[in-house]
Amino acid sequence: MNQHRTIAPSFTPRSAPARRTFGLDLARPSRRHWLGYLLLAPAVLLIALIIIYPLFVSVDMSFQNVGLVRLGAPRRPFTTINYERLITSPEFWMACWVTFKLIVVVTIACFVLGVGTGLLVNNKFRGRAIARLFVALPWAVPEIVAVVIFAWIFDSSFGLMNWFFIKLGLVNTTINWFSDPTAAFAAVAVTMVWKGYPFVSIMTLAGLQSIPEDFYNAARVDGANAWQRFINITLPCLMPVLGVTMVLTILWVFRDFSIIYVLTGGGPLRATQTLSIMTYEQAFSFFKMGYASAVGVVTLILCVIASRLMVGRSAESIY
Amino acid sequence: MRARPSRQALLYLGVVLTCGVLLFPIYWLVITALSPADSLHHLPPKFWPDVPQWGIFREIIEQRPIPLWLGNSILAALGSVGISMFVSVFAGYSLSRFRLRGGPSLGLFILTAKMLPATLLVIPLFGIFRQLGLIGSLWSIILAHATLIVPFSTWMLKGYFDTIPRELEQAAMVDGCSPLGAMFRVILPVATPGLAATALYGFVLSWSDYAYARTFLTNAQTNWTANLGITTMKGEYITNWNQISAAAVLVALPIIVIYLFLERHLVGGLTAGAEK
Repeated sequence: MNQHRTIAPSFTPRSAPARRTFGLDLARPSRRHWLGYLLLAPAVLLIALIIIYPLFVSVDMSFQNVGLVRLGAPRRPFTTINYERLITSPEFWMACWVTFKLIVVVTIACFVLGVGTGLLVNNKFRGRAIARLFVALPWAVPEIVAVVIFAWIFDSSFGLMNWFFIKLGLVNTTINWFSDPTAAFAAVAVTMVWKGYPFVSIMTLAGLQSIPEDFYNAARVDGANAWQRFINITLPCLMPVLGVTMVLTILWVFRDFSIIYVLTGGGPLRATQTLSIMTYEQAFSFFKMGYASAVGVVTLILCVIASRLMVGRSAESIY
Repeated sequence: MRARPSRQALLYLGVVLTCGVLLFPIYWLVITALSPADSLHHLPPKFWPDVPQWGIFREIIEQRPIPLWLGNSILAALGSVGISMFVSVFAGYSLSRFRLRGGPSLGLFILTAKMLPATLLVIPLFGIFRQLGLIGSLWSIILAHATLIVPFSTWMLKGYFDTIPRELEQAAMVDGCSPLGAMFRVILPVATPGLAATALYGFVLSWSDYAYARTFLTNAQTNWTANLGITTMKGEYITNWNQISAAAVLVALPIIVIYLFLERHLVGGLTAGAEK
């Protein structure tokens, strides 16, 4: 009984002869969902091997006092020392604070730039297809290449940024972008914004296109001006898309590794050390794998909580 | 709506200015690559080199094993995309067409997997791969990149399959096709653009990875990927900016070409889940 209900009703074959034509008789509704499981099996197996099992290993490791990982070695006794050390370590709270600052700065800037450019190229003008293509081009630049670009622009002796600042009269002497904590944070933020805003403009454009033209026509008939149309139609219709985009942007900043690691390595004085960087440093510079796993697990939990808080129950329907 | 000419002109100005500022870093990368090395150590900077140094590309290829790095990146991307597409075509189809017990929760788990920080997963994977003797081998990053691609491609493909009407399979089955036959002969051909876009996006994901390559391949120079190779050209004190820029251009080029040709599909895939 139940089996029949679990099958998509539209899948029920209409004609009896069609059922008989194949050997395994997979078309019979009762067997059909076995086919579904069969198709799912390779993916489940692969995910179990390369995601779930490693995840289990790292949670397990975070509760052991281990240095280098040795899977064959006997399990160390259960301990919460990694988490205790974490809570009491100023480095961890510093990393939390840096992560938080970076998320706020980068997300706001990405949204201003991304929504702005999205609205701009959504206007009707000749050549807007090309403008759309170009406005989001940094999306297609690999992160490492973006790092190369901005490491050179922020170079302390011959970089463009220092020259530009001095030319404008903003500073008298060259800024040492990568040895001053505030400047290094700014350099990281600029690089991330440049790499991150195109995603917001792409999503904004997609959201704008899904707003029916009728809405605007109706508003015009009612005498709404451009600003009112924007506030009362465009923004509310964009909100769901922007909500998801914000979560994805925040998660990206949370997890990003390559931009910060290659640009500053988390320094100077840990001014750009986010939780991701701290996880990696602890694991592969200091070989404290247990401790690093604890940081990673906390990062993951924060990621999940953050995304749940922001999208809440609508998360499932949106995805 | 007729737009007044002045408004149109203002719009063009705005678009050109915005694109100019936002794309300037890309322009600057190319110009840096084409500038002679000594002119980069002068201020004010030259925004157009007197003689573009096209020879720089030959120079860096002679000095560094860049073709090898690019080849490794391509191999890693092909391997991980191949594995990921194989499992996610079936899984995406299954999630789209069958209502299985546990199906939705599996879907949700896959979504959560997209949130996993690579820096968390890289630690246990390092241990596992060391046990298997895979550290330093391209297989390590092929498998690691699959952890990035599978969650993404399964959902993107499910989205594509959802847009294909079920009547197509029903018609095929009425005509005597088996369910699997209907999938292979009817649905997959129809979904080809979606499959191609998903595969290319997976390619981009693998191509852009640095964290896994840095961790698993650092001590195996012959297996370095392009991203890893480039970062080694950035010196502690002295960096030859024209050389590293030229290498960066070579690494960025394939992805930019993919983007320019497939922007519509990629955007469709990126936003597929978000609009519902």
